[in-house]
Amino acid sequence: MLRRATLWVLLIGWVLALSGSFSFAQAGEGSKLVVYVYQSFVDYGPAKFVKTEFEKRFSGVEVEFVATGPSRAMLARLVTEFQAGRTPADLFLGEINDVPKAKKFGLFVPLSAADVPNLRDVPQELLFDPEKTLIPYEHGYITLVYDSEKLKPEELPKTFADLLKPQYQKKLIVQDARTSSVGYAFLLWTVYNYGSLGYLDYWRQLLPNILTIQPGWSAAYRLFRQGEAPMVVSFSTDAYFNARYKPLLLNGQGYRTIYGAGIVRTTDNPRLSREFLNFLLSPEVQEKLPDTEVMFPANSKARVPEKFAQLAVVPPNPVMLPLEMVAEQGDRWLEEWAKLIVTGR
Amino acid sequence: MNSATPHPPPVPLPSRERVAAGRGRVWGLVAIALLFLILFFYWPVARLLAEGLTHNGKFSLDFIVQILTDAYFQHVIGFTFYQALWSTLASIALGLPLAYILTHYDFPGKRWLRAFTIVPFVLPSITVALGFALLVGRRGYLNQLLMGLLGLNEPPLALMYSLEGIILAHAFYNAPIIVRTVHAAWEKLDPRYEESARVLGAGRLAVFKDITLPMIFPSLLSGAALVFIFCFLSFPIVLTIGGGRFSTIEVEIYTRVITLLDPQLLNYKLGAALALLGLVISLGMTYLYLRLQGSLTYSTELLRPRPTEPLFAKESLWRPSRWLIGGYLFLCALIFLGPMLAVLFDSFWEETATGGGWTLRWYSYIFAPDYDALLGDAPLRAVLNSLWVGLTAALLALVLGLIFAYGIARARWRGRRALDTLLMAPLATSSVILAFAFLRAFSTPPLMLVGSTLVVVLVHAMIVFPFVVRVLVPLMEGFDQRLSEAARTLGASAFRALREIELPLLAPGVLAGVVFAFALSLGEMSATLMLAPPGFATMPISVYRLVSQQTWGAPSAMSVLMIFSSFLAFWLLERAGERTLKGF
Repeated sequence: MLRRATLWVLLIGWVLALSGSFSFAQAGEGSKLVVYVYQSFVDYGPAKFVKTEFEKRFSGVEVEFVATGPSRAMLARLVTEFQAGRTPADLFLGEINDVPKAKKFGLFVPLSAADVPNLRDVPQELLFDPEKTLIPYEHGYITLVYDSEKLKPEELPKTFADLLKPQYQKKLIVQDARTSSVGYAFLLWTVYNYGSLGYLDYWRQLLPNILTIQPGWSAAYRLFRQGEAPMVVSFSTDAYFNARYKPLLLNGQGYRTIYGAGIVRTTDNPRLSREFLNFLLSPEVQEKLPDTEVMFPANSKARVPEKFAQLAVVPPNPVMLPLEMVAEQGDRWLEEWAKLIVTGR
Repeated sequence: MNSATPHPPPVPLPSRERVAAGRGRVWGLVAIALLFLILFFYWPVARLLAEGLTHNGKFSLDFIVQILTDAYFQHVIGFTFYQALWSTLASIALGLPLAYILTHYDFPGKRWLRAFTIVPFVLPSITVALGFALLVGRRGYLNQLLMGLLGLNEPPLALMYSLEGIILAHAFYNAPIIVRTVHAAWEKLDPRYEESARVLGAGRLAVFKDITLPMIFPSLLSGAALVFIFCFLSFPIVLTIGGGRFSTIEVEIYTRVITLLDPQLLNYKLGAALALLGLVISLGMTYLYLRLQGSLTYSTELLRPRPTEPLFAKESLWRPSRWLIGGYLFLCALIFLGPMLAVLFDSFWEETATGGGWTLRWYSYIFAPDYDALLGDAPLRAVLNSLWVGLTAALLALVLGLIFAYGIARARWRGRRALDTLLMAPLATSSVILAFAFLRAFSTPPLMLVGSTLVVVLVHAMIVFPFVVRVLVPLMEGFDQRLSEAARTLGASAFRALREIELPLLAPGVLAGVVFAFALSLGEMSATLMLAPPGFATMPISVYRLVSQQTWGAPSAMSVLMIFSSFLAFWLLERAGERTLKGF
């Protein structure tokens, strides 16, 4: 009887799926470090190297990266779980402009060089957070990046105002400032240039030239590399990754961006987490950053490849809004921006 | 029977008490099911709505007023209606001619085309979004073809990230519903009405306008209402094809939950107020739909089947109208099959620097047991999770559905109305709003369910069980009561009659309910995305996470597996159903 056979198939399928799914849930014995991180740290970045090497050094420890979304989406996830009193995350890697938000919720433990010895080799100018809740491990500059096979040097916009020209219609890919740290930094950059009162008007005029607003840098850059548009918001160091993709310094500027790592206050593994941070700042990992993250390492003792030193562009005029200002008005800028991109008004 | 009784009474009627006790037990089950429904539906939803209606602990309409007067929220609500309206019209435009052709002509592949109208219920909407992106995306197959044919440098179709793209994807997804409802009514329409009018001298157009259209109109309206509701609540398609620049009520609530647009109490208040408005609208529309479906259908006794004629016969082959119809059918096949074929093709294809080639890489990826940080789970585990969550939720939904369907079918009219109304709310509540309610209600003690896999199973069961009820109620009502009454008079308890007479006879329907529930759960993305605990992914979530990163191949392979699983379930059902029906 086929009806009975169907029921058996369903039952057996259910038991198999259930047991299969739970059998490798408890794979790792011993301690596990859960690290929330943005997608590109995993798909381009040094995640694999960090995991293998750290696990080699601390036997019985398992490192698990969770990168189910772009940076700010991961932060939002962490905040929600933290507020509900249960997050599996021990560590978080994210961007400097999220520090005010993280502080507001008291997400991270303040740290010092006593906790993380390698912090001594991080230059003072990168230590933007006096309490050191997010410890810098890499840095760079947000700029536009263009495809040199699609745009000739004379066709390039030189200023923010140039970028509004109709010749660039649908030529730019940007990131959603709500979910992406790169997108948020680009939004802050426009605020830097056009002010709290003028940035919305700038974006209103920019909208026709934006092909799409992608949730994160990974997606945006992938579209850019597939040739969907000749310009994307990315980093000034990108030419090292592929010389075809060159930085485009609007107004001669680059927006300062620093990525840091923090220990979540509710962690059960504070000692191991500090070891992880120290390892992240060790020259061994730091020297991998140019080749994987295509960013400047934070540790001044880390040597960078010669070619990186040549190709990675430092903008003549690096700019940045003070974090106090971001803390005060960032949410409002973001909300207004989100309303603008949806309504177009 | 009953040989133990020394003096059997001449008519072995069960005592009044025994009947009451049996009935009591069944109603006890209904009470337990109701309690479950209240705990996992009415309480969280009511709590969420209360959040939208209170300010500093007091009743207040502040947030509702704020939403109704704010230009941004007006835009979001307006856009939700606007896109749903156009999507419905596009679905009608695509579906109505097809319903006509299916009713009037015979052609090779007709059976397939008709079977295909089940698609919107079976195909997870994230796979539709994926197929659509592959087909008409800027670098999609259609654009590549057109660029090659016309020698263009820029893709001619700009449908991704546009309103037109959203509408077209909705039309593809929902036109089959129009075809289904209209075709069913048209087929039952007695052709003598039209024939009489023709004999009396009315032109073809007049006959269609004055006779056919008014008679199929109720079914068209009811189908259109259903399509409108689906498009109004559509989430994965708007999110994926619209991109960041389009927001409907659903997308807005989701975005507010997953981003840091200050996650203060205040924002949850606005989200809750928005959910309240969304719920009121969809509840109203669902009510209208159910009323339409129940009251407006003409029932005409069909004395002979409607005549159909072969579309391609020797004598009519030269008629241009036939070629037009043939062309239209080809277009339909392309539109309906295109996205699915695109997904299938992409799952076996790998782009390389030199062009591309066939590969099984994506399939080996989805069956890999290794953890993938971008999914937050191992791909194989996502597959298994989907299967066991789907089956568990389907069983849970079946138990609930059986109890409620029994209650509705057996209750006197007053109880029936009450139960029916109680069950309408779960049917009309979108998964995004339900997940939002779960997030708010079950993140704090006493019921800290958020963060466990149990919450995913529960939310799936709550989403799919109303559909199971809707499958079962007509079956139970059509059931010949006298069969179980006969069993009762022979001394069986109400429970035993249910178990041994009613359930076996209802088995095909029960199985259909389970399979339907399983397929729905398998494709559920919205609520899962909001509630899945860290380190837990399902197939639709994995597809979404990969697609939103603009990676291809792997999500296609997973989609193929998803579509295959739900088609397999329906196929098994069909086989089983045929056999049992033959056995009667």
